[in-house]
Amino acid sequence: MAKGVLVDIPKCIGCESCSVACKLWNELEWDEQEKNKTAIDRAKEPNNGLWPEEWTSINRYDLEKDSESVARYVKTQCMHCEDPACVSSCFSKAFQKLPEGPVIYDQSLCVGCRYCMMACPFDVLRYEWKKAIPGVRKCQMCATRVANNQETACTSVCPTGAIIFGDREELLAEAKKRIKENGYVDRVFGEKEAGGTSWLYISDTPFEQMRFRTDITSKPLPSYTEGYMKATPFVGVGWAAILAGLYVYNNKGKEPLD
Amino acid sequence: MELVTTVVSKAGAKKSTVKWKFKMTPMRWVFTGIAAAAIAVILVRFVLGLGATTNLNDQWPWGLWISFDVLLGVALAGGGYGTALIVYVLRRDKFYPIARSAMLTSLLGYIVVVLGLLIEVGQWFNFWRPYVSWGHASVLFEVFWCISCYTVIQILEFCEVGTEKVFKGAHKYLKKAMPVMLIIGITLPTLHQSSLGQLFYLMVGKVNPLWWTAFLPVFFLLSSFFVGAGMIVIESSLAGKALNHKVEIPVLRGLVKISAGAMILYLMLKITDMVVRGTFANAFAFDLPSIMFLSELTFGVIIPIIIAFSSLSSTRKGLIWFGILTVSGVIMNRFDVLFTGMGKYLNQYGGSYVPAVSEFIVSLGLVSIACLAYLFLAENFNILGNHESEHADDIEIKDGKYASTAK
Amino acid sequence: MASKVGRVKSLSRRSFLKFVGGASLVGVTLNLTGCGKPITPDKAIGGNGWMPTQYNAPGNWPTSVRGRVPIDPENPAIVRDDQKCILCGQCIEVCEKIQSVFGNYELPIKKEFVCVNCGQCIQWCPSGAISERDDVNRVFKALADPNVTVVVQTAPATRIGLGEEFGMPVGTNVQGKQVAALRKLGFDVVFDTNFTADLTIMEEGTELVKRVTGELHHPIPQMTSCCPGWVKFVEYFYPELIPNLSSAKSPQQMEGALIKTYFAEKKEVDPKKIFSVAIMPCTAKKFECQRPEMNSASKELNDSNVSPDVDVVLTTRELARMIKRSGIDFASLPEEEYDKLMGTGTGAGVIFGTTGGVMEAAVRSAYYLITGQQPPAALWNLTPVRGMQGVKEAAVNIPGVGDVKVAVISGLANARKVMDQMKAGHAPWAFMEIMACPGGCEYGGGQPRASSPPSDEDRNRRAASLYNIDAKAKLRNSHDNPEIKQIYADFLTAPMSEKAEELLHTHYVSRADDFIPKKSEENKLY
Repeated sequence: MAKGVLVDIPKCIGCESCSVACKLWNELEWDEQEKNKTAIDRAKEPNNGLWPEEWTSINRYDLEKDSESVARYVKTQCMHCEDPACVSSCFSKAFQKLPEGPVIYDQSLCVGCRYCMMACPFDVLRYEWKKAIPGVRKCQMCATRVANNQETACTSVCPTGAIIFGDREELLAEAKKRIKENGYVDRVFGEKEAGGTSWLYISDTPFEQMRFRTDITSKPLPSYTEGYMKATPFVGVGWAAILAGLYVYNNKGKEPLD
Repeated sequence: MELVTTVVSKAGAKKSTVKWKFKMTPMRWVFTGIAAAAIAVILVRFVLGLGATTNLNDQWPWGLWISFDVLLGVALAGGGYGTALIVYVLRRDKFYPIARSAMLTSLLGYIVVVLGLLIEVGQWFNFWRPYVSWGHASVLFEVFWCISCYTVIQILEFCEVGTEKVFKGAHKYLKKAMPVMLIIGITLPTLHQSSLGQLFYLMVGKVNPLWWTAFLPVFFLLSSFFVGAGMIVIESSLAGKALNHKVEIPVLRGLVKISAGAMILYLMLKITDMVVRGTFANAFAFDLPSIMFLSELTFGVIIPIIIAFSSLSSTRKGLIWFGILTVSGVIMNRFDVLFTGMGKYLNQYGGSYVPAVSEFIVSLGLVSIACLAYLFLAENFNILGNHESEHADDIEIKDGKYASTAK
Repeated sequence: MASKVGRVKSLSRRSFLKFVGGASLVGVTLNLTGCGKPITPDKAIGGNGWMPTQYNAPGNWPTSVRGRVPIDPENPAIVRDDQKCILCGQCIEVCEKIQSVFGNYELPIKKEFVCVNCGQCIQWCPSGAISERDDVNRVFKALADPNVTVVVQTAPATRIGLGEEFGMPVGTNVQGKQVAALRKLGFDVVFDTNFTADLTIMEEGTELVKRVTGELHHPIPQMTSCCPGWVKFVEYFYPELIPNLSSAKSPQQMEGALIKTYFAEKKEVDPKKIFSVAIMPCTAKKFECQRPEMNSASKELNDSNVSPDVDVVLTTRELARMIKRSGIDFASLPEEEYDKLMGTGTGAGVIFGTTGGVMEAAVRSAYYLITGQQPPAALWNLTPVRGMQGVKEAAVNIPGVGDVKVAVISGLANARKVMDQMKAGHAPWAFMEIMACPGGCEYGGGQPRASSPPSDEDRNRRAASLYNIDAKAKLRNSHDNPEIKQIYADFLTAPMSEKAEELLHTHYVSRADDFIPKKSEENKLY
């Protein structure tokens, strides 16, 4: 059964255990500059605090709620789409959606065209610009752990249960229950966004104030080019046949050109 | 300055020598300089990576190299397949004089694209992966296959010309294969020209609605077709100056009219598309995208149509203007889709991208290399219709003195 | 030529098609058999790292020890280096179970990271990821400025901790060497916080007597206020008990206020040019000195250019770092004396550094304040309030008053239990001493680490050292301190006089609006 993670934004206290766990488990390098940034700094950055060596980041948004100023912490990482644009956009199959949920990336297959980065509806892919032989970097949803019936590194360390790991369907039901019980915003971000994602977010403050792409399509992105790609071979063969016909017809009884 | 080399074939006692010439002019020195600078930058790029040589970043993973070298390179090289279609398939023989030069331009364009891509991608040594690891759901997969196969086909097509001078024995076989190569060589570009547009269709909600439409592939295909005439006009006038060879006005005018016909179709589709999707408000909002969109259509399509179907197109000046406007229009269009079209989305949280000087150097350098290659090939092979090269060949054999000399 | 023709021949129409078809077949085959195989999880990038064992169990079973405490990047006392964090969960263990801070508020949080700045997480952190906010450079800068008079005070407990940083046995008393080291570092004046500890006893004791006699309409029991971690804890979780807190400032803040007024006046130093440093066993003191209320000198002198009463608080560890950085051979330093005026403390002052010490000192002087007589020798060894138990009770018989019940608490989880009882109406005590850190200041968040996590064995050794100083002291009662007598005679007039109120007393603010306290034990979501 496909796994997922439920992020209950109001339950996050901003301890950033998850991002440290990600660093530990994936052996990501520490960058002095990134290390000293705060969650407020990261929320203002163009890339949401995600870098090739930062696969997840906690961003803080200061908002108004019930005429009271509150802070909300939002964990960002790859959303692990159900039908991912990166997988469909990759012409060398370097991306793969596992049946367990993770969308993984194998650098040995990657050509480095970065079409995936352009295609990603959540803009979470990062490129190792500084390396001579660069690859794409993003959360792999701890694929080996998940395949091993373990939960992801980040969820395993969350002290408040703000991020919980489980079967996506069960989490979706839990999310809806919590929305009703706690009076959250009536939307599970990730239920339908971009055709649904393995990561689900619920919140008591408006998503659009926390840099969520709320105007996103609910159709899976690959469906936009699927038909085109399926038609291509037929169009190609048909067009070639027409050209051949025209060629024969137009060259009939004529001297061939030099 | 003239460089003369003699190629000695290994076959027995009989020596056959071929004369190659390449005259260095000030302009050609400039090209060489730019190309050398570009090669230096390219070396740096391979040693230190893309970050050191470009201003690309995680908000702008695609920049000048993709848009200029690939999107634009492929589009501007579109004259090749269009001419092949008109001349060889439809047998409009009056355009035959420009066929070879158009197809050579196209070939060189594609070689630049392929070189540009190898520099542009991160793991260039993995370029062959899509041949075995089929990401067949990707539009880029089709683009990749078509461009690479088409480049090979074009090289073979050029071999048909080349074997008139060297390896003459292969000429008749290539000539036999020409019909197949021509048909494949028209089918493939048709597919990938449109697919280049379709690439952007996956970026749902990121591209400005003025450009993001289901018609993207058709627009890309049509514009690559009609820009061909513009390119031929410009190219023939430049080559005319450099190589003392002028294409007759009626030939160009005919071509321009065909091109303008495609433009009318393009314009009608654009308007239909705007009606269907209701983007008139966006088009006349007179913000940056709207201004770019309108000028792209006005200067790149509407005015060229007027030129083509008026008496203006019977003068060389009018034709050149047609060429300049059409080519600029398509350049604008390709840049608009990426930069103007996606700028608002990609910069919404403070991202930014201005191409680095080194990026410009590489792009210009690749064009310079293509120009130099064109000049060399046009001078040494029967491209423009003058049979000088074969003439030179005769002299050499008679002379028989040449071994390997440069003067 | 023949071979060449042969090669090129393969480009005839049929051969070309064969070639294309063959290439495609090869592609398809490779695709199906090997190269194009779907990638498996182990091919994914990352995932080769390490995590503590509790996180590596299959499934998502709840793990009792997980994660870490949140630390505000703006926290004035505590910082964390994420790179060193291994997510062992020890900081949560101490914060939640020993100090009862983490997990005692409802989610969502509002804005504040609830933290009393006690620094016990520093003592528990096995990888050294959590540490005090390092203010050493600010002090070095002030020391380098010839126009600034740098005055330093040292807390009771630093003298029995500092030596450990230089390889001495746990609890070694290095009072004299500490003074010598500070002078060598360039501090202009070295005072002892023991002096204001004695002063605190005078103020707090007087306040207690006034509360008991009804002269002051404040509730009983009176609770000590010298521990800033504890004070912040009350402000967060028990704002209704704020009136029970003694209004007396902590010794550090009394000393600070007096340095910029009394000392400045007596030694004719411009208060604006005094840089006041406090060496403390504590991280919460770094927070305390930044509280807006702790600006008495500026208020008293009516000069906004006078900086806060205490400019910088350094922990014992930071002082050790300064000494080491300056290349001072600590062990070979001579024993030196504190400067006069505010450098004399009694045995009662020095035992402020351990749990029960404030109570013992208070009882000695309360006896004197009530009866006018010196306390009996039994009060110099008040064993029921000594030791490492979290909650200690004692009854002291004072002639004329009878049995006075007192309580001594250390560790905030213990305090929470007693506070909940008090809220329920059970409060038989007249006076309560509460320290945030288990064992009191001697194992505060700023002390050297003798064991990890802190052990009672080491706490007892340090406490024994303090009691030993007290036992050997010439003066063992706060009210006998000659400098205390002098300051009341020359400057403050009397305990709780108008001037004393202004400089030595403070008020507290409820922080209950910054968060939602946990509603009930059952409702524990995390």
